[in-house]
Amino acid sequence: MRKSILFVVSLLVALSLVLPACAPPAPEVIEKTVEVPVEVEVEVPVEVTVEVPVEVTPIVEEDPTALPRNETMYFNGQQWGPVVGWNPYSSSNNNAMAISQGDNARVVMFETPYLYNMLDGQMYPLLADGPWSWNADMTEITFKIKKAAKWSDGTPLTAEDVAYTWATHVKYNTPTGAANVDYIDTIEAVDAQTVVIKAKLDADGKTVNPLAVAAYVSSNYVLQKAWTETLEARAGGDATELLADTAEDVVYSGPYTKFFADDQKVIYVRDDNYWGQDASMWGKLPAPKYLAHTIFKDNAAGSVALAKGEVDVSQQFNSNIQLLWLSYGLPISTYLPEAPYGIGASLPTAYYNLNSPGLDQVAVRKAIAIAVDYPTIIANAMTNQSATFDQVPRSLMNPTDGEQALYDHDAVADLQWAGNDIEGAKKLLDDAGIVDSDGDGWREYNGQKLSYIATCPNGWSDWQAAIEVVAAAGQEIGIEISSSYPEWSVYQTIVTKSDAPLPEGYDIFMMWSDGAGPTQPWGRIRHLLSSEFVGMASNWNGNWGQYSNPDVDALIQAIPGETDPAKLKEMYTELVKMYLTDIPSFTLMYRPQSFHAVNETVWTNFPHQDDGTDPPVPPLDCTDGWGVACLYNVTLVSP
Amino acid sequence: MLKAYQKYFLNKLGWFLVTFVCAFILNFILPRLMPGDPVAAIVSRFAQGLSNATGVQAIYQQYTELFGTNRPMLEQFFIYVRNVVRGDFGFSFSMYPRTVADVLKSAIGWTICLQFPAIIVGWLIGNTLGALAAYLKGGFDKVLMPVSIFASNFPAFGMAIIFLVILGVGLEWFPTSGGYGFDMIPNFSWEFIWSVIVHYQLPFWSIVTIAIGGQAIGMRSMSIYELNADYVKYARFMGIQDKKIIGYVFRNAMLPQITGLALSIGTMVGGALFVEIVFSYPGLGYTLLNGVMGGDYPLISASTLIITVMVLSANFIIEILYGIIDPRIKAAQAD
Repeated sequence: MRKSILFVVSLLVALSLVLPACAPPAPEVIEKTVEVPVEVEVEVPVEVTVEVPVEVTPIVEEDPTALPRNETMYFNGQQWGPVVGWNPYSSSNNNAMAISQGDNARVVMFETPYLYNMLDGQMYPLLADGPWSWNADMTEITFKIKKAAKWSDGTPLTAEDVAYTWATHVKYNTPTGAANVDYIDTIEAVDAQTVVIKAKLDADGKTVNPLAVAAYVSSNYVLQKAWTETLEARAGGDATELLADTAEDVVYSGPYTKFFADDQKVIYVRDDNYWGQDASMWGKLPAPKYLAHTIFKDNAAGSVALAKGEVDVSQQFNSNIQLLWLSYGLPISTYLPEAPYGIGASLPTAYYNLNSPGLDQVAVRKAIAIAVDYPTIIANAMTNQSATFDQVPRSLMNPTDGEQALYDHDAVADLQWAGNDIEGAKKLLDDAGIVDSDGDGWREYNGQKLSYIATCPNGWSDWQAAIEVVAAAGQEIGIEISSSYPEWSVYQTIVTKSDAPLPEGYDIFMMWSDGAGPTQPWGRIRHLLSSEFVGMASNWNGNWGQYSNPDVDALIQAIPGETDPAKLKEMYTELVKMYLTDIPSFTLMYRPQSFHAVNETVWTNFPHQDDGTDPPVPPLDCTDGWGVACLYNVTLVSP
Repeated sequence: MLKAYQKYFLNKLGWFLVTFVCAFILNFILPRLMPGDPVAAIVSRFAQGLSNATGVQAIYQQYTELFGTNRPMLEQFFIYVRNVVRGDFGFSFSMYPRTVADVLKSAIGWTICLQFPAIIVGWLIGNTLGALAAYLKGGFDKVLMPVSIFASNFPAFGMAIIFLVILGVGLEWFPTSGGYGFDMIPNFSWEFIWSVIVHYQLPFWSIVTIAIGGQAIGMRSMSIYELNADYVKYARFMGIQDKKIIGYVFRNAMLPQITGLALSIGTMVGGALFVEIVFSYPGLGYTLLNGVMGGDYPLISASTLIITVMVLSANFIIEILYGIIDPRIKAAQAD
């Protein structure tokens, strides 16, 4: 073994020494060149490099030298850095393809009872049998588990597994447990198939948050009770140990499982005994035998691989994606054939630090917001992969039809702006008496020059480009705005500290907002505006500018319990009005839930607008929520 | 004579130890002086979407306790020393629950395999060219010098991207990313080894090309200086063969170059960051960069400790060898 390793490394080094850089030599040449007398150089690295081939020793029993291209679907943009673990209770696995719970949960290896479809806002049963339902008092949700549902070890997946998963989340205060414990009281198994979720009730006996309870069934995995017990025994009941366990032995219910993982890629292989081929679910297995994700170190490398056909499904920002088909004629496409190419779902937002002198004035906030050149942000930062604010006027809603229908457009039309309104901004400031009184070119408020720092994390290039445009807008209207880009490690510590006013240097700063999901747009609005997060020492929820408005809070509180659509529309309209009036923050662009670009060299029949699928398959990289249906629809270009 | 050498040796050893202790302490302290809270980064992964304040706080405390970042710096230092002596570098913050040892182990082989041959090859070619330029003068020198200056001052990133665009994307002679084929699974087959070799070429030559220029310039200057030295003229008068004289000249000119080589080898563990990023090549450079960005103290300290040990050792060995090779140095030091 050692000898062969030495030979391999020696060969490698020797070849690198003698191979000309630009002539791919034939194997015969190589055999000759091995003999080149470079013994001294060759011998030295051998000692230190013995680990490498050992590290890449195949860890799989099946041992093909390469994945058959016609059986493998390649991804990028989801997995950054090597996989750490396989533990679905933990969120520290860095295993994006296998473990990603949330609004559009990734159901490649682990599964949720329901699949959320961001295109029609519906939930479709996966592990569950038929739709879920509230009881008359709206305090309990009941649903059934499919009889066909099985674990990878062949045992049936039952209601008891659902109940035990929840109990474990609560017992060990996992992220899922902590996120839902305020809304869900218990989850019980009535019989092997029937699950009842009992909601937490408020003082009046009403469900605290029906939206959050209902979202649980499509956002969180069901995990096996028997395996969980094994894990608990291994961790000795210690929460930290349990969450740090890499769970190499995890039992799963989904169609794929781990096949290979190293620093350069992660590969999942289809479980041909997957229960979902039962007629009660998909009726067949997903088409690709392998799902493989190469780990790229930046977007540029990923984009090159997409263009070369080494990636089939791309979930990363590919700058000027349209050039790939318009200029290079490659078989690459996006969900929409024209700009904005994808469906916007989240609203990257610039927050105002409402404690900064001057920014406590609506006039100043509004003047900056209406002066910003949004078309430039969308053209430069997003290379037009965002709808413009002329196409989708600003509100609190994302551009999906479902959310757009939730507010009265006419009622807020006077409050919306599309940007570049320099004159309007100047007038607004002049009218408010915020003028340049000392003639230095900058306006003053209360005798103090309006001077701010706009910021976002360093290296987040699209956000940096947007921040520069915001700074330029300030210049135009007599407000000094300079930009600053701290490292993310520093930035996040400061921005999420909501128990004290933000420090200097964080006057205008960017953060994200929620995308599409079963609790949206309520969840997004809450995260943008609710004052409940002000005062948190580690606030990963939102409202980082520390806005506080009791009327807004009351509406946010009331919406989850409201079922009358007309009433809901009224409430959402009211919220949009207040948001566009107070302007505690403002949307800079629309961003898709996933950047979903596909190269159809090998696989075809990916989700595209008007592709005839019913229900429509969302452009979520064939892995998330109802988007996973894509894996059953794709076919080979050349079978 | 022996006593003088012993004194020289002990002197060097003493300095080695003093430098090591200072570097060790700095390796520990400096990363911890960076702004930002690394535990907050870990908590952020757990806490996204968590709305109850107590839950987030509990998680935060759990991890500050686990990583010991809530203890006084001095106490942390002694725990660190105790663990390092046992060979335990702890958990990587940025890749928790992976250990630092595991992170380093999986990346360091690629880095050394790429860097070591590249440094040696760049050094050999560079020095040979430099020496030839000094000796041959004329046209060769006139072409080599500007080219070398150009190459050595060319941004490493730019060189790698030019290689990538021309040889990888344009001509498609070489793959553009990864340490082996995107469709391969590591195994001991000819296909896999060939794939590793092919993927090796662009990163390797990107480093070598940059290295050659600097080495050639240095070697050329040293050689010209030596060629004009009195002993060369004297040797020529004596009628000694040119070949023999050249041997002496280059041995002398080589000395500073060897120091440079030792330093390059010592720092190579830091990785070839630009190559790793441009070609998505596996290795320590990018891991270390992420560690620095994420305030991953254990990972930074362990990596810099390895670099420190390697640089100091390489230097120490070179100094000791100098004492043997070049009696002038030993004599000067022993005075």
